[in-house]
Amino acid sequence: MKKINRREFLRHSSAAAATAAFAHYPGMAFSQGMGVSAPFGDYKALVCLFMFGGNDSYNMLVPRSTPEYNAYAASRQNLALQQTNLLPINPLTPDGAQYGLHPSMTGMQTLFEQGRAAFVANMGPLVEPTTKDQYFNQSVLLPPQLFSHNDQQDQWHSLKGATVSNTGWAGRIADLIRTNVANQQLATNVSLFGSSLFQSADETIAYVMGNNGPVPFTGFSSSGDPNDLFFQQRLAFERVLNAEYDTIYERGYADVQRRAVETIDLVQGALDDPGRQQVTTVFPQSQLGNQLRTVAEMIAARDTLQMERQIFFVATGGFDTHDDQVLLQPGLLGGISDAVAAFYDATIELGVSNAVTTFSMSDFGRTLTSNGDGSDHGWGGHSFVVGDAVAGQDIYGTFPDLSLGSFDDVGGGRMIPTTSADQYAATLSRWFGVDESDMVSVAPNIGNFIQQDLGLFI
Amino acid sequence: MKSSKLITMTAAIMLTLSACGGSSGGSASPPPPPPPPPPITTAEAFQFLNQSTFGATSLEAQDVINKRFEAWIDEEMSKSVSLQLPYLRGLPRPQNLAELHADRVDKWFRNVVDGNDQLRQRVAFALSEILVVSQLGALIQAPYSVADFYDNLALYAFGNYRELLEIVTLHPAMGVYLSMLGNQKPNPVLNIRPDENYARELMQLFSVGLVELNIDGTVKTDGLGQPIPTYDQAVIEGFAHVFTGWNYAGAQSFPQAFRNDNNQTVPMQLYPAFHDDGAKTLLNGFTIPAGQTGDQDLAMALDNIFNHPNVGPFLAIRLIQRLVTSNPSPGYVSRVASVFNDNGFGVRGDLGAVVKKILLDDEARPDMHMEIDGKTKEPLLRLTQLWRAYDGASQSGVFPLAPAYIIFGQGPQQSPSVFNFFSPFHAPAGEIRNSGLVAPELQIATEYQNTFITNYFFLLAFNWNSEAEAPGEDDVLIDISAEMEIADDTDAVIDMVVGKLLGGDVSATLRAELVNMIGRVRIAAPGNDAALVAEAIYFVVSSPEFAYQR
Repeated sequence: MKKINRREFLRHSSAAAATAAFAHYPGMAFSQGMGVSAPFGDYKALVCLFMFGGNDSYNMLVPRSTPEYNAYAASRQNLALQQTNLLPINPLTPDGAQYGLHPSMTGMQTLFEQGRAAFVANMGPLVEPTTKDQYFNQSVLLPPQLFSHNDQQDQWHSLKGATVSNTGWAGRIADLIRTNVANQQLATNVSLFGSSLFQSADETIAYVMGNNGPVPFTGFSSSGDPNDLFFQQRLAFERVLNAEYDTIYERGYADVQRRAVETIDLVQGALDDPGRQQVTTVFPQSQLGNQLRTVAEMIAARDTLQMERQIFFVATGGFDTHDDQVLLQPGLLGGISDAVAAFYDATIELGVSNAVTTFSMSDFGRTLTSNGDGSDHGWGGHSFVVGDAVAGQDIYGTFPDLSLGSFDDVGGGRMIPTTSADQYAATLSRWFGVDESDMVSVAPNIGNFIQQDLGLFI
Repeated sequence: MKSSKLITMTAAIMLTLSACGGSSGGSASPPPPPPPPPPITTAEAFQFLNQSTFGATSLEAQDVINKRFEAWIDEEMSKSVSLQLPYLRGLPRPQNLAELHADRVDKWFRNVVDGNDQLRQRVAFALSEILVVSQLGALIQAPYSVADFYDNLALYAFGNYRELLEIVTLHPAMGVYLSMLGNQKPNPVLNIRPDENYARELMQLFSVGLVELNIDGTVKTDGLGQPIPTYDQAVIEGFAHVFTGWNYAGAQSFPQAFRNDNNQTVPMQLYPAFHDDGAKTLLNGFTIPAGQTGDQDLAMALDNIFNHPNVGPFLAIRLIQRLVTSNPSPGYVSRVASVFNDNGFGVRGDLGAVVKKILLDDEARPDMHMEIDGKTKEPLLRLTQLWRAYDGASQSGVFPLAPAYIIFGQGPQQSPSVFNFFSPFHAPAGEIRNSGLVAPELQIATEYQNTFITNYFFLLAFNWNSEAEAPGEDDVLIDISAEMEIADDTDAVIDMVVGKLLGGDVSATLRAELVNMIGRVRIAAPGNDAALVAEAIYFVVSSPEFAYQR
């Protein structure tokens, strides 16, 4: 009995979904299916760098003036970096303290000092501004399941607060601007790190490629020659994918395969186009380095694909440093710094350093206190933003008091964020071109914050 | 005590009765014997075997048809375990221990492709995706530990979940992966507090989950319609204090406990001086008193978790999703959770009974092609099914698939994190999400990964078959000799291929395209029978219907 009901339910929803599916295919079906709004007329890209596991950013950006450093060191104990090893940075807007970076982040230090990078201090998911008293009195709404990896990743990706959401804020941006970018040959959202909630949307579908780009089908040809076995193979393969299937699982699988077949020639063709800009910048030999090199290649191919707006998702893991944090952080943070610096250089090479903004997110900040040789799941943490559109060489937001038991500390050195992920997303979206009236769709809790823009951009 | 004995006796009497054929010898006339159940069809046997093994084969299907489901399960459960660790221990120890993970993966494939204990291995694999440890990360230099952890999942696949939780908790692989190993009591002077990693994930991912559940797996809500959190930060800290004082066994002292080849496969040992002996608040307001030993704390804490009412539905959903369907009905979850709560003999946590219920429930045997029944096949299972159906083997005996997770997006104990390769809640955009349904495996079915897998199958079908000239000694070849015998007959080839891979249940479209492509191969490569057989196999294994588990 349950089956009949659910089947009928499905039949309705799948009819609706099929209509939508036709519209959000990359390429020609896209502009045919819907109205067209004014194009942006320029190119911009957001590159989201996600550090999976929860970056201990309190060792990424560290106070180096002695009173503040002493508070840091007293809280962090055996996790603390040496004061003299910190790479000095000099923010343009003084807040009374001096700051430095993890000694492995020379690339980031240079970008910051040249005005090409900024930090946002102590940021995290919030539904509304939250004080320590309000946290303990439970007199404000809080994002559910604080300190849990997947739940807080979901918060950063979706900004959903206490409500259920299956879409991410990059996905919602793509839906909002889809009629402006109707000429684009490829989806606005491209992932180099699998499918993500961040790019999930109701109307548009992100395109997923590998670290080194998309992969063509072996044994397929697009020659158009009816005597070409590999051309026929491709046609037959497509007919199998286009068949009607009884189950949601077969249809779900066939949808992905169909997108892969239909998109590969386009993307590979653009990447292989000898007339496009070439990227000669050398990237680090790492997963993240490869991903960012591929993003640079995709940006270099933007004109062939008629791209005006792109959001790339790149990511790397290993940041859940419950153990061996002191040993692991140089590789983790140095790897980020080197790859981001190389990517910035590539945007200079391509002449798009004003049009491309890279920004970081991570599950959460971590506890200031040690569990012996590592740290545990926290809440607020620092992020960085890089690009020539950024009003760099500054630390935005409020740097927290790192003393244990401070007004920012809900226990063990878990910092209450003083800037919300919604404010961050709204600021980035506004630069990207999202209409002010749509901002609440991107960042649903933005209305709860007085400062609606962090002023990150020139 | 009394009541459980009573139940056992009643059950024993009932067993005796049924053993005598139910003839009680009374004066009333015996009831007519029930009609014999209808014979199991090949398609049903394939369905069942794709839920309970690493891939249905025609031979095994015949066995199921002969024995029927329950007897087949009983026989499987009595089979001895295929292990990994003894094999790894027998190999020369490489300088760089990380290299042994290739052998660990090789042995996993040997066990799941050729092993006799198919059901046990399939359940162990399911458990390895719930109780996750991975070679990727801190265990890269501990292949013996990772293999031994898996062996324990296989050994306890039909055991008791309370025992398995304890084995997992004290296993050094888990100790390293979720950093309970070396976790010590608080040191207020140095601001050191107990590590919360294992405490948190044990509850969130291995046992109770984040929110309170009804027995049917639906989420309980409070008066305002909001989900009720199962625990809070204070409870996590309580468990974190419980899990202090454990380290590699046999060391001089806690700070001197370092991994070696032997202690990585021995349960962690308590070093009492490093255990916090204060009182601890656990689930449902339960408090364990101060002054207990670490062993006592551990036993009470695991009892506290194991007896939480969430564990039954939590585990039922996950095991059903791994074996049978992504979207079990609340009734199905409830029936399985009830067996977890009580196996009929008053025992809670009997995994063997749970597995049996999952596979024998009516909902595991739906009509074919129902819209939401079944699941997306795990990518790795597409490969093992092909190899099982076609006797995949290399001359050396090796299955050289160390980078399985790169090719297939998943590999044995190669998860990117403790959250497994995909989430039980993943709902891809479109009709699945719009209908409030999930399809966990589709989380890793991206354009990129699917293409990669399809290309691998192309390579496999055309290059690594029994007709290959001068294959490498580690190339796993599928045996297409039977198809070669009948290669002149296109329909016969198709019947054989879809018989082996789909139990004969093939869509009209796929069949038509197989006819089409075999015909074209005959023209393009006259006389190359291996190519047309390969073409047929490639098309079937890369089709949506083979990617689906009915």
